[in-house]
Amino acid sequence: MTAPVQSPPNRARALRLHRELVAIWATGPGLQRLASVNHSVIGLRFITTSLVFFLIGGVLGMLTRVQLATPNAGFMDPETYSQVFSMHGSMMLFLFAVPMIEGIAIYFTPKLLGARDFAFPRLTAYGYWCFLFGGTILTVALIAGVGPNSGWFMYTPLSSNVYTPGINSDVWLLGVTFVEISALTLAVEIVVSILKMRAPGMSLDRMPIFGWYILVTALMMLVAFPPLILGSILLEIERAFGLPFFDPTRGGDALLWQHLFWLFGHPDVYIIFLPMAGVLSTMIPVFANRPLVGYRAIVVAIIALAFLSFGIWVHHMFTVGIPHLALAFFSAGSAIVAVPTAVQIFAWLATLAHGRPRWDLPMLYIFAFFFIFALGGLTGVMLAIVPFDWQAHDTQFVVAHLHYVAAGALAFPMLAGLYYWLPLITGRVAVRGLALPAFWMIFVGFNMTFLLMHLVGLLGMPRRVYTYQGHEGWDALNLFSSVGGFVMTIGFGLLIIDVLVQLRYGRKRRRDPWSATTLEWAMPIPPPPYAFASLHHVDEPHDRVAPATLAPALARGEGYLGFTRNGWQETLGVHMTSGVPDQLIILPRATYLPLWTALATAGAVLAMLAKLYLLAAAGALLVGALFVLGGQNAGLRREYGPLPIGHDLSVPPHTEVAGSPPWWALIFALVSDGTLFTSLLFGTFYLWLSAPNWPPLATPQTDLLLAVAVVAALFAAAVSARGSLRAIAHATSPHAWIGVSVLALVGSIATIVVLIGDIVPHPREHALGATAAVLLGYIAVHAGIGLLFLISNVLRIGAGFVSARRNIDLRLTRLWLEYTAVTGAIAVGLVLALPALVGVLELRP
Amino acid sequence: MSARAVPPRQLWLLIAGFGVWCSALVVLYTLHAFGCAFAWPTGALRLGLVATLLIHLAVLGWMCRDQTRRPPDPELGATAAFFRWVIAGSLIAAIVAAVLVLGPPLLLSTCV
Repeated sequence: MTAPVQSPPNRARALRLHRELVAIWATGPGLQRLASVNHSVIGLRFITTSLVFFLIGGVLGMLTRVQLATPNAGFMDPETYSQVFSMHGSMMLFLFAVPMIEGIAIYFTPKLLGARDFAFPRLTAYGYWCFLFGGTILTVALIAGVGPNSGWFMYTPLSSNVYTPGINSDVWLLGVTFVEISALTLAVEIVVSILKMRAPGMSLDRMPIFGWYILVTALMMLVAFPPLILGSILLEIERAFGLPFFDPTRGGDALLWQHLFWLFGHPDVYIIFLPMAGVLSTMIPVFANRPLVGYRAIVVAIIALAFLSFGIWVHHMFTVGIPHLALAFFSAGSAIVAVPTAVQIFAWLATLAHGRPRWDLPMLYIFAFFFIFALGGLTGVMLAIVPFDWQAHDTQFVVAHLHYVAAGALAFPMLAGLYYWLPLITGRVAVRGLALPAFWMIFVGFNMTFLLMHLVGLLGMPRRVYTYQGHEGWDALNLFSSVGGFVMTIGFGLLIIDVLVQLRYGRKRRRDPWSATTLEWAMPIPPPPYAFASLHHVDEPHDRVAPATLAPALARGEGYLGFTRNGWQETLGVHMTSGVPDQLIILPRATYLPLWTALATAGAVLAMLAKLYLLAAAGALLVGALFVLGGQNAGLRREYGPLPIGHDLSVPPHTEVAGSPPWWALIFALVSDGTLFTSLLFGTFYLWLSAPNWPPLATPQTDLLLAVAVVAALFAAAVSARGSLRAIAHATSPHAWIGVSVLALVGSIATIVVLIGDIVPHPREHALGATAAVLLGYIAVHAGIGLLFLISNVLRIGAGFVSARRNIDLRLTRLWLEYTAVTGAIAVGLVLALPALVGVLELRP
Repeated sequence: MSARAVPPRQLWLLIAGFGVWCSALVVLYTLHAFGCAFAWPTGALRLGLVATLLIHLAVLGWMCRDQTRRPPDPELGATAAFFRWVIAGSLIAAIVAAVLVLGPPLLLSTCV
């Protein structure tokens, strides 16, 4: 296919617009690259950095295969082996799989949705730096010989102080939490961007199916990550300060960790799978030469899968002693989750069956996916059946199953997508010399490694053992498994060489080489920093776009925003469901601030690791200050009213509308925050009901007057925030109201500190005191962040960013303080109710 | 494009069905844990569990009936038709999931 030839005036027009847009959107050379906030740059950084971690994790996996290839091997000592397999799993899950899908989402989602960028470019950059620094901390720790050594799910009490007294567990808890902060910030950004920043006219029923997959995945991340973040914080507090959340001798319970971990861990499998299913759903129609079958059924299946995946976390805990009736809920759920997965697989097969498929390299990886994922799914259903799970639990069978699922869900679709989108990223098409042998070596090597691992597992070989004796009948299977691992590694080596060859010698292409039907190809390749010179008005179904004819028209500026204005980075905000443009979004330019903020965050994490807690607190304050500073130049210093966007339409800038991206971002951030709070409530009730050594010896007591004072102060702050909003609406000064909010918050924090100091039993003595302290601490932290909101309000009002119509700052503060007041009332109420709850325990037989 | 847009609050309905399913799972699991911890009589515990499931199924059934019986608004166009289909589909899927996942386990021994 060739691109339509443009006449000289049209070419000149497109070129002029290109130069003007590049001057506004491009990242500077040299060190200025560190200031980049562009989604293409950051997305690529995410993808390449996660691939580097994949290579490191792969080498670690190979080391474990060397150790297990023969019995009684002395290649690694037990401690090194523990660190190597722990880091292999942690790296593949937290530093490769999740960041890879984030990178793919960041790079491709705006392009597929016809937008110029994401809603919060600086947050994207901050997320990347957090990921890089968190991953680096973990990697350096491994090299230094103090890497995590308690397995990738860090079960207590093995990971607690008693059995892991060094900093190995702290490295995991702090490093992984650091990376999860990155994941949460990006999840908020992705949700808001998909709902508010699609191409004009792209109603939700016209959204490419990839958008649905990424939207649901990001929503899942908002709810799945907080339980693990909470678990990590609690375990780190236990290790650092001795509060016994997981210590059964003092009213804690090791199983609480398992619940919090798998509340994250099981949905995480689908958080990895769904974006890759989105990749497949985008590619298969292109190679089948027909639209995707069952678009609406797939949307239902995605929603069902998202919820069912949360409802089956206990299937990782079938052997911990839960009654049969409860196990059956999770066993049945684990089996039925295969149904929505199958809906998607049959939709893909139907698309291929009813189309005119053409064979190309990505299709090889797609068929490998079908084969491997089906096997992984089937062994998953086997493990969902409780009696079988009891036999196979903690054996190599489970390791084989999870590799089939992870590789099927992630690696093979990822490689299909790599070959499909590499021409878009590089502007070159493949040479194809090494691609075929690379594929076959990866496919054969993978199956040789992990198919045999099922068998050695069924023969009774436990997972995570350092070595074996040689009389168990596992020798040959382990040896062949290791040989398969090396075949697969050589395949990946060839693939890397193949990609490098394409980058250097691939034939240059300016346009879509696949005859695709999605918007990401309706731009020059490789994509310019502004993505689209003008924004397409979507009036065709989601899979009927014709990039070959559309791209030149958009390049000439014939869509929306086909011009530049005031040097602004402009894109459009749309109505959530209809896609009608409703605001002009002006994005921030390149800045080093995300880098400095991430460095300050890394400083705080490292100080925690070194047990310099005052320094860590100072680092956290610095991070808060940098966030306040980062907000100082956001928005516009005056009101503009509706501004023309092309096609005879005018819309107001995002600073002057109610439903702007920051508003929605805070709502979704609070959904995530609320999940963390709910997990904390769950943890409190779980310990109360299930943990040994309850009730505590000391009678719990809380000062009622002080507790009521905290709640009253929090509500006073929230009411004052409403007052400041009313004041600005009536063009009067809101400073007095803000002052009242500040005083109320400072008062509440001081009172909470007194309450925590007076908790009985002491937080170090019993989990009851510990949970009460954390509940109160949660409120104090939120009140502290509320103070940052108020400081930012004062600064921005002074700088002229706030007016009756530009009142988003004050509305955000109001929302935050109302959330703090409501959660504060619940937390304080629970702390007050603890003595009564302890009394109820006396009724147990 | 249609004359009126589907209100964004309808997005919540996309997840409402499985939201109720989640509520059913959480309430059943919690109730079961309480019943076993405080040694409730088997019959009373099972009755409580069954009642909980039936209440959730009734809510799901009402939502499904409400969604499918309401006539489509012609002014809302193709997007509304898409929403109706997906909301109804997810509600039906949630009912099926509730019956298959949460129903049969209630026949098992309660606290063993």
